[in-house]
Amino acid sequence: MEELELESVLELARGHDADALAELYRRYARRVFGLCRYLLGSTETAEDATSEVFLKLQRSIDSYDGSVPFPSWLLRVASNHCIDALRRKQREWQVIGEAEADAALLEVAGPGPSPLSEVISAELQAAIRQAIARLPENYRVPLVLRYYSDLSYDEIAQRLGLKRDHVAVLLFRAKRELRRVARGRE
Amino acid sequence: MDCFPELTYAILADGELAGEEAHQVRNHLAACSRCRELVETLRAENRILEEVLRELPQEAGKWAGLPWLRRSWVWGDLAIVAAMLALGAAVSQWFDQQRVPEMLQWLNPFSSAGGMNLIFNLSYYFGHGGAAVLTHYADIAGWVSLLGLLGSSALLLGRRWRRSRSGLCLLTVLLALSLPSIALERRHSEFVTVAANETVDDSLVAAGNTVRIEGVVNGDLLAFGRTVEVSGTVKGDLLSWAQRTEVHGTVEGHIYTFSQSLDVGGQVGHGIYAWVQSLRVDDKGHVGDGIVAGAADVGLEGDVMRSVTVFAGSVDVSGNIGRDLTMTGGDLTLANSARVGGNLTARVRRQKEVHIADRATIGGKRDIQVRVTKTRFAQPKFYFFQAVWLLAAMLVGWLGLVFFPGFFQGTTQAVGAGWRSVGLGFAVLVGAPVAMIVGVATLVGIPVSLMLLALYLVAIYLAKVWVGAFLGKVLLKRATATTRDWLLGLLVGLLIITVAGFIPFVGGLMRFGVVCLGLGAFAWQLYHASRPAATT
Repeated sequence: MEELELESVLELARGHDADALAELYRRYARRVFGLCRYLLGSTETAEDATSEVFLKLQRSIDSYDGSVPFPSWLLRVASNHCIDALRRKQREWQVIGEAEADAALLEVAGPGPSPLSEVISAELQAAIRQAIARLPENYRVPLVLRYYSDLSYDEIAQRLGLKRDHVAVLLFRAKRELRRVARGRE
Repeated sequence: MDCFPELTYAILADGELAGEEAHQVRNHLAACSRCRELVETLRAENRILEEVLRELPQEAGKWAGLPWLRRSWVWGDLAIVAAMLALGAAVSQWFDQQRVPEMLQWLNPFSSAGGMNLIFNLSYYFGHGGAAVLTHYADIAGWVSLLGLLGSSALLLGRRWRRSRSGLCLLTVLLALSLPSIALERRHSEFVTVAANETVDDSLVAAGNTVRIEGVVNGDLLAFGRTVEVSGTVKGDLLSWAQRTEVHGTVEGHIYTFSQSLDVGGQVGHGIYAWVQSLRVDDKGHVGDGIVAGAADVGLEGDVMRSVTVFAGSVDVSGNIGRDLTMTGGDLTLANSARVGGNLTARVRRQKEVHIADRATIGGKRDIQVRVTKTRFAQPKFYFFQAVWLLAAMLVGWLGLVFFPGFFQGTTQAVGAGWRSVGLGFAVLVGAPVAMIVGVATLVGIPVSLMLLALYLVAIYLAKVWVGAFLGKVLLKRATATTRDWLLGLLVGLLIITVAGFIPFVGGLMRFGVVCLGLGAFAWQLYHASRPAATT
């Protein structure tokens, strides 16, 4: 099973072949767990969420039509699952909405904090990862959806119930926050 | 042409800028090298972010198993708990079959009488003044640990609340100023001896294999050792923690002791508070006040001027007791020479274990009761009250969920952390009272301590609600968190906890575990809730 092409594994999995599903799990569980861990913030909930995503996969794999690469599709499924979980936690997504009004206040590029890439170094990566985990949920979730799950602004906006422009603002601020952390660590 | 805002460039770097604006921006970039550079940097930043995120959190390493084969952590923990319960049950079964000698029954914490005795004795012991002296000496240890605590807290808090550092310094100074002045002499060696011609003017703290006082200690004597012997004079109190404590000289104050044996063959000016295996006041012994003791054997051959209250496996009296003799435990023997000035009150298991010689004198009333234990499970009121408590807990849970939904559900979830919660809960259970005592000792901390006490008691009660709700949630396998599901889970969980709490031996252990688990989850949730809210 291990040496099979992804296409063949998917084909078998569609027929609810237990070995094929297990193989998908073996190949992608880490990646899904990573996403859940970043999005949900705690190892326990991320573990539960990962298990649930793969249990759901047994049913939902039929709906995979091959239009996007399977890993991307799976990460989208997992993202949706985590967003649902976050909503269930009754975290207020309105908080994001409220911030929308001052989006226009962002300044023109000027002598602000230097972009992350200028200050980051290999040993800072761990610190950045930690900083991402500590970001407020309304910054962290769009950031992870964009740069881990590779979702577009529109997709993020649709999943989080936000306007597209606001997703851009949140991402921008999240990165600015990370720069601040990175500078602080220098 | 003016430069665009950085946000616009960030959107461009994400490949999300389209239409006319994209066109304008590109035109500008062609002309402005500074902005071009910025866009390049932003793109590099995105790549780094993707790279950083691709490195998974450490915990991800273990993800190689199969979901349907992987036992959830809940089951793992339950398996451990079950194994521990089984082991505990086996051990307690074995312990129970060991036929603990009747005389030691009061020490057997697995017997209900033993458990009760343990709690009752301790509270009685402290209630009768033991606490006063203990706290006196605990002050010293307390202040030392307080300073350590303050130092480390200052480090921790200083990092968290940089701005409040000055307040913390003030608090530290205040606390340091309120330190009691400590006038103590300390001696520590294999043999600590105060020779016959020697006088110690202060209180003396002595630790050694043998602590021998042949001379005079003008203050209190606090002694730790294998053997503590007083053949000289202690003008204050004697507080000993030893295998053997012997007083053949004079202790003008009280004796507080936690020893294997206490032998009094000399003069004790005031009373004796003892938690010992064997307590003996021999025919030369004289106790100016009363005796309160928990012991396996008590032998009173000398004089005790006031009342004697003992919880003991066996009590033999052949000397004088000025006032009442009150005993609870195994057997009681009054010899011919015994004299009790007041009432004799005895709670024993069997009538035949009371031997009172014909010529023994009892000045007051003679009240000997045999304890009859009737199983509570046969009494209807037991079930009634259990139902009432269950409903009360449900009500509390419901109210909590209505008023603090996020917090209650969060805490329920935090119970799932298992060992983290148990460990944290145990630390809180033990640590909070210490913190309260320290708080009260500082005077300025009294209100804080009282509030902490209230919170502590509330949290101890709520522990079963959270654990119950969690248990119910796990068993009912409801992923959703509607109020109804939560309450249904709570009912199921509480029922299980209540019923399991009545399993002999293991029940008590389990209830303790529930409290730890709930407290830990509460502390964890409190910590999280107190963290600064997300900013936008």
